[in-house]
Amino acid sequence: MIQMFHVSKTYPNKITALTDINLEIPPGDFVFLSGPSGSGKSTLLKILFGIEKPTSGEVIIHGMRITHPRFKKIYQLRRMIGFISPDFRLLRDRTVWENVALALEVVGCPPQEIKRKVGEILSRVGLQERGRDSVLSLSAGEQQRVIIARALVNQPLLILADEPTGILDTRMKEEVMGLLLDFHQNGTTILLATRDRDLIQKFPYQVIPLQEGRRMDEKIEEGVKEEG
Amino acid sequence: MIHLFRYTLFRAFRNMKGNLFPNLTAIGIIGISLLLVSIFSLIALNFSYFLKRWEEKIGLIAYLKRETPVNEVEAILNRIRELPGVESVKYVSPFDAMAFLEDRLGEQRSVLDGIQPKVLPPSVEIDLKREYRTSPQMKELISKMKKIPQIEEVQYGQEWVETFSGLNHFMHLTQWILGGLLFAAMIFIISNTLQLTISSRKDEIEVMKMMGASPAFIRIPFYIEGLIQGLLGAGVSVLLLYLLYEILLRRLTPLLKGWMSAVPILFFSGETIVTILAGGMVLGLFGSFIASMRFLR
Repeated sequence: MIQMFHVSKTYPNKITALTDINLEIPPGDFVFLSGPSGSGKSTLLKILFGIEKPTSGEVIIHGMRITHPRFKKIYQLRRMIGFISPDFRLLRDRTVWENVALALEVVGCPPQEIKRKVGEILSRVGLQERGRDSVLSLSAGEQQRVIIARALVNQPLLILADEPTGILDTRMKEEVMGLLLDFHQNGTTILLATRDRDLIQKFPYQVIPLQEGRRMDEKIEEGVKEEG
Repeated sequence: MIHLFRYTLFRAFRNMKGNLFPNLTAIGIIGISLLLVSIFSLIALNFSYFLKRWEEKIGLIAYLKRETPVNEVEAILNRIRELPGVESVKYVSPFDAMAFLEDRLGEQRSVLDGIQPKVLPPSVEIDLKREYRTSPQMKELISKMKKIPQIEEVQYGQEWVETFSGLNHFMHLTQWILGGLLFAAMIFIISNTLQLTISSRKDEIEVMKMMGASPAFIRIPFYIEGLIQGLLGAGVSVLLLYLLYEILLRRLTPLLKGWMSAVPILFFSGETIVTILAGGMVLGLFGSFIASMRFLR
């Protein structure tokens, strides 16, 4: 369960990214965060991942009050979250395999299990043949797939995805969405931020629209009509 | 758990390999700094040992007045025996003293031709109990002996003992002051070397944090790196010190004469070497701890 109560965020440069956001996402739900660039989608995901702290308000994830001043177990929170974000880059001096395996190494996964899980997830993102390649030799789309593989290899309880399909071609976009849907079918909660209306329209999931840091509380169809 | 430990070790060695030059510099500087401290410690150790052996040799000689009648000697010896700290006494008559002189002069004994033994004063050689061989207690004993009217003078190697004691004290003091300064410098160096490692691993550390690495998981490889730097630095210092010791031993031993030649020049015991190595590791650990506090928040 993800809960946000009256969450606001103003950056030190006085730019307000979020204003009085309330939301509640039950476990196992798939939710789209929609809105134009600068609407606060990325900030909201970063707050949930513990990278940014809200200026005010309260955030509770799986019973952990992450906004509590004495909350120190941020790493435990992150172990249950698969975070896909353009800000969370790959290590340029490592191979594809090493980048994905690192996610398992940091949680103390045994080597045999790492081998199996990394092999499996690379197959699912279509990079099984590129494991030994440096990430620098990959195209932007391939790199994005490595980022996705790294976020999913640990079989997280919650996936926070910030424009995960933004730079992928149509075929790969569908494969990545298929992968996320597989995780969703297995009970993973997914919060996906995107500007891609076509993508949102394809799936019958809840949409939380944001604009200028505020929750608009309207259905995507209505939003499309208004803009049209 | 074992794989986590192996992975942590692997990361520590990879960090060291990736920053080879700063690491080698740190190890070298730790080695030289510890060598300086060890040199002073070794000199102090040998001084202490030398003093101990010297003290074992220390005895008093009480010279009696030449006119002291022989029949009073036994009474004088008894009075001396009763003084606190006296282990045994031995009367040396002018004839015994002359025989001793002749023996020491060997082939040159002819210089004593024509000299009568009576020109030599009779004396009493006094062996002291071990716990009474310190300077203040000897002074107290001498003042008591001087109250015996037949005693003319009491001699012992007071100045030598005091000079050596003072020098030994100075060596220990220097060792601690220099040690303190160099330890602070070593911690600074280790901490700064690790800062370089941490900077070069900034992206990796950031990614690991994002993946849920615990603070311990991130910090432990840096602690191990500091530990290894300290251990290798201490190892270098012990090795260099041993080489110096061997060279000095060969040069110095032929110069020692008399009973001093029987006093061995000591090197650190195995236990002390282990302590130095462990000390290096503790230093390294402390330096890396400071670095992690400063740069891994």
